[in-house]
Amino acid sequence: MWSSPDKDPEDRPSMIVLKNTNSETQKHRYDLPYKRSETHCHSEYKMSHRRGFQGRKRGANYIWHKFDRRNNHFNYPGTPYAVGLKRRKERYSYEDRYFLTVWNDRKTEECEDLYAERRATERWYKVTIPSGRKYEKTWLINSIQKLCTVPFVPVDFHYDKNRARFFVQDAKIASALKDVNLKICDETSRKISLFVSPSVVPYSVQNKFSSEQMEHLKISIMKRYDASQKALDLEKFRFDQDLMDKDIDMMLNRRSCMVATLQIIESNIPELLSLNLKNNKLYQLDGLSDMTEKAPQVKILNLSRNKLKSIFELEKVKELKLEELWLEGNPFCNCYLDDSEYISAVRDLFPKLLRLDGRELIVPTGMDIEAPQLCKKTHNETELIKNLVLRFLKEYYLFYDNGDRLRLLDAYHDQACFSLSVPFNVSDPDLDNLEEYLKYNRDIKKQQDSNMRVQLLKHTKHDIVTSLSLLPKTQHDLCSFWVDLCFHSEMMLCFSVNGLFKEVEGKCQGCIRAFTRIFIAIPCSDSRICIMNDELIVRNASPKEIQKAFTSSPAPDTSLKPLLSAEQQEMVKSFSVQSGMKLDWSQKCLEDNEWDYTKAGEAFTALQNEGKIPKEFFK
Amino acid sequence: MAMAVDFKMYVDQACRAAEEFVNIYYETMDKRRHALVRLYLDKATLIWNGNVVTGLEALANFFEMLPSSEFQINMLDCQPVHEQATQYQTTVLVVTSGVVKFDGNKQHFFNQNFLLTAQSTPNSTVWKIASDCFRFQDWASI
Repeated sequence: MWSSPDKDPEDRPSMIVLKNTNSETQKHRYDLPYKRSETHCHSEYKMSHRRGFQGRKRGANYIWHKFDRRNNHFNYPGTPYAVGLKRRKERYSYEDRYFLTVWNDRKTEECEDLYAERRATERWYKVTIPSGRKYEKTWLINSIQKLCTVPFVPVDFHYDKNRARFFVQDAKIASALKDVNLKICDETSRKISLFVSPSVVPYSVQNKFSSEQMEHLKISIMKRYDASQKALDLEKFRFDQDLMDKDIDMMLNRRSCMVATLQIIESNIPELLSLNLKNNKLYQLDGLSDMTEKAPQVKILNLSRNKLKSIFELEKVKELKLEELWLEGNPFCNCYLDDSEYISAVRDLFPKLLRLDGRELIVPTGMDIEAPQLCKKTHNETELIKNLVLRFLKEYYLFYDNGDRLRLLDAYHDQACFSLSVPFNVSDPDLDNLEEYLKYNRDIKKQQDSNMRVQLLKHTKHDIVTSLSLLPKTQHDLCSFWVDLCFHSEMMLCFSVNGLFKEVEGKCQGCIRAFTRIFIAIPCSDSRICIMNDELIVRNASPKEIQKAFTSSPAPDTSLKPLLSAEQQEMVKSFSVQSGMKLDWSQKCLEDNEWDYTKAGEAFTALQNEGKIPKEFFK
Repeated sequence: MAMAVDFKMYVDQACRAAEEFVNIYYETMDKRRHALVRLYLDKATLIWNGNVVTGLEALANFFEMLPSSEFQINMLDCQPVHEQATQYQTTVLVVTSGVVKFDGNKQHFFNQNFLLTAQSTPNSTVWKIASDCFRFQDWASI
């Protein structure tokens, strides 16, 4: 109980002091700690003296702490009720006093924060990528955005020598962008530096047009827009009469003017195909580079008679897929020795360009990459052989059918061989009418005599031609020919011909025959081929073959399509036999695999192994 | 005279090769289909009714897919191929004709021609198929 009276007098003087003056209150703050703990207070006291503001702030914190301690004391369980009541009253007064003080400090701090925040959101920052010139703008901005935790809008993106630069507003964005430094890797795995620094307001923002001016600008632009051609003519836009009347200085070589123009294009005519910027004194294209986002469909661009000093300015718009470009009358055009050098330089930036300064461009052969060339070569080779064979056959059967067969002498090699065979077919009712061919039949299943086998194989070109002359006169139906290229190497060509002919003389005049002919040829002089082996198989044509014989028109245009169609029919039937599927499903399988027989077969096998082909697909 | 004797020798060789080959080929096709691909050179080409199949793997797949067959050979002919065309690799042209029935299909007449090349082994000469060209005859009858 003695201790209680001690505390009471201590509190009472404190209250008195608070009631008197502010200066007294301040003094009290310093005194109280000193009494409580000498060492600690001494340290605090010294710090306060050295840093006034900090000291004051610390003092505020201390008061708060003090309040907490007193609160703890209030909860002491041993306190008598009567004494507790008294203490509570005193504490209430004390608490009220200090609460007011704390509240004031906090409010001041809060106001200050709000003010700072407002300033931060209005502040501009410049973002610099030291080696940014070598990266495409779109790729660069997208790469930065992916790693930046805060979305941002780049303002006035441009290249300055080797650097890429843009501006952003807001300190938070600037802070997030700083974290992207060295986080992006390019295709060569080099880390990209990115630096952020405070900046003045960007030029285009400083010179921003008012809403009213933008409305006037829009009207002027839309007057110059040809909707049918999707073409916008902004030639000498500086001297647009309507804009001059309204005192709007629209100079497209200023960033702010180009930004405003592209903004109107983006909002009103994003489908723009052709843009004429002739005669606008453009000396750089940084502003125009925004076109890749705002008017990406532009195919025709006229930049003639401007002030571009280097072709590298065009790098800033090379992401456009231009087909036509006008550049004549710019200073850099004088830097080339001749047209081809100039065209080549422009072409490096716009590989798919079709017209330059109004002239059609020829696609240089050097543009082909290696793989297509290989395919092309293969295709050419096949085409070459095909043409060679077809030309040979046309010429061969011209003489065989229409002239003296002795003239075929030149078609054969000195050491050539020829033989004739007639397959045995029990179901053929007219086998007897093949007697003119049976005389020479060299079927070695029937002809066992070694000497006869040699005798029936004609050897040397003279014997061959003599033998051919003894066979019945013919007329071949060239449109019925199927030609297979069986084998080819540098030294040899093996091809077979299946088709129909009719006899035009003798007792079998008018009879239709079917034949298979196998030729082995070697190259001769003047890109001609020379026959080394010749095998002829002759049989009677079937009723259906007879029906189809000599019905196709010889005209190339009309015969080509039926031939291809017939070929596909052949593939369908063959595939049907092989797969067991019905004709229509076989056709579908081939169609689905682009008439690639092997591919279709593989697809069929795979599906069959997986049990995915329904039963009803089969015959 | 010397040339004539040489020619006869080549003709005889070709005929023996053809007869032996045809017996093996069609029996293997009908009864031991899985072994058929061994008769072909690595880079052999088959043209089956105008459709090209090249290489052993593709050939194996092709023959596996083909329904079981019954071949009947009605005609056989052959010719020696001059060395000028073959780069001194002994080669024979073999031509066959006959009737084939694939399981589930009608009977078809066919013509087939092969280019065979001689491959020397320690024991004997083995003939391998360098090219194979097969066509149904009477194809319109389907």
